[in-house]
Amino acid sequence: MISLFDPVILMDILLIAISGTLICAAVHFIPVGGAPAAMAQATGIGTGTVELAAGSGLVGLITASYMYAKEPTITMGLVLAAGAMGSMIMLASTMLAGGLVYSFGVGVPFASAQVKRDPITGGRQDTYVSKGTQGQGIPTVCFVSGVIGAALGGIGGALIYYVLMGIYSPLITSSAAAVAGVFTMGVFYVNSVIPSYGVGGTIEGFHDPKFRRVLPKDVATSFVVSLICGLVAVLIAGGMV
Amino acid sequence: MVLDLTMSMAILALMGALATIAGCLEDLESDVGSQSNPNSQVQLAPQMNFLHRIYNKAISGEPISNGLSAVVGGVVATVLLDAKFFPLAAIAIGAFIAAMIHGIFSTTAYAGRVASQTRFKQPLYMDIMRYTTPSIIAHNFIVCFCLVAIAYVQYVILGYPFTIPFLALIWGISVGAIGSSVGDVHYGAEREFQNREFGCGLNTSLSGRIVRKAESGLRNSIDNVWFCAKFGGPATGIGLGLTVFLSSWPTTIFGYTVRAIIAGLVIVAVMVVLNRLIELQAKNAYGPYKEDKNEKEAAA
Repeated sequence: MISLFDPVILMDILLIAISGTLICAAVHFIPVGGAPAAMAQATGIGTGTVELAAGSGLVGLITASYMYAKEPTITMGLVLAAGAMGSMIMLASTMLAGGLVYSFGVGVPFASAQVKRDPITGGRQDTYVSKGTQGQGIPTVCFVSGVIGAALGGIGGALIYYVLMGIYSPLITSSAAAVAGVFTMGVFYVNSVIPSYGVGGTIEGFHDPKFRRVLPKDVATSFVVSLICGLVAVLIAGGMV
Repeated sequence: MVLDLTMSMAILALMGALATIAGCLEDLESDVGSQSNPNSQVQLAPQMNFLHRIYNKAISGEPISNGLSAVVGGVVATVLLDAKFFPLAAIAIGAFIAAMIHGIFSTTAYAGRVASQTRFKQPLYMDIMRYTTPSIIAHNFIVCFCLVAIAYVQYVILGYPFTIPFLALIWGISVGAIGSSVGDVHYGAEREFQNREFGCGLNTSLSGRIVRKAESGLRNSIDNVWFCAKFGGPATGIGLGLTVFLSSWPTTIFGYTVRAIIAGLVIVAVMVVLNRLIELQAKNAYGPYKEDKNEKEAAA
């Protein structure tokens, strides 16, 4: 029987809360432009925060779970790294393919509307922003920010999965991966939705002024919500016999 | 199942090919039915007095609707596999049922959306519904078939810990996310506003003023998917194909070690460089749109 006052369980709940917070922070790094970006009227990837964060994070979950299944004695660090790797590759592939469409299919130069020069390459941005838009395409700084975000999201998802597998495996050996996977997906969605209220649909990445403005509040909210998620994750284990 | 390196790579290549087809067809399905972000323009057009003959389904966000389709296909396939059906038949029947359910959602979504636009005098064209819906179902069938096949390979041959429906759900969500991020831009920013000069940028004030004339006659969704199949669809296929192939390639080659993680990081670094090269190419080809104030003053 699992006790809520067991220090190990308390630590697990805390780790789930930290993982959720990591996912929430990750969403702020990912350059999402929403519907305007799909019309090349805003910088970033042309879809919503929830879709993209969950999509990349879940690929990370697949790679992390496979690593854990193949080597059950593997260190936690490698499982988290596998999650980050899968997530980063998914988002990088998406942004690269998206860049191809912006460049060759739509015909717009990549430009950020939030900074005059790209903080990484130093290239001019403001002169490339077309009239009546908030920038377009995925400049290098957005790409790098997105990759960092994907890594954080992948680590967060893998950490939740790793912790939950530790709790569920002794109780329900064969179904533990399924329950842990579904719960991780749930925590992913919860923590992808929270920042979407803060960022209001579009954010360019860590160089966007919005990033500093909304991140603290969103992260605090996410920590509390993820703590509750962690508590529920442990409570449902009470019915596993 | 224990596989040697050659077989592992063959399986990986098969998964990459399936993912490429799934990605491509998913984007084309969202174009022929008009879903996700670019559909906001199709939805807005009647309000700007731009009545059109474009299908307008948008069941939900692409990841969710594709996740639903894929998981339905995965569940049916799993049930049939338990009933000792051949895997190929089980996957095909699962995908067919999922596609039919997707078709039902498409018709109700189209009818519902157009009905909500009565005050803008947007008609519901029955001929459009009649010959576009089968095309949506056909595209979705191929997507579901490929995704459930990937899930089957991962679960049965590679021994992933998640079940076929759950893996199909995750790949459905991912294919939707990629299709929404990549191919939709070709539909939304280029095809819907094709009367603008290529490379001129798209002013926000143009919102809703979509192109309604086709190469011949009035434009419909079949014309749109014909155009997007030339670039947006294949680009989406590349996106998902790369994701599936490259996310598994490091562990296939280097095993479950730190070296595999380093290989993954190198792949990401290469992609950053490639994106920079595309960025430079685009800037040289189309921009800048404005003159630099300092340069202007110096010239004066």
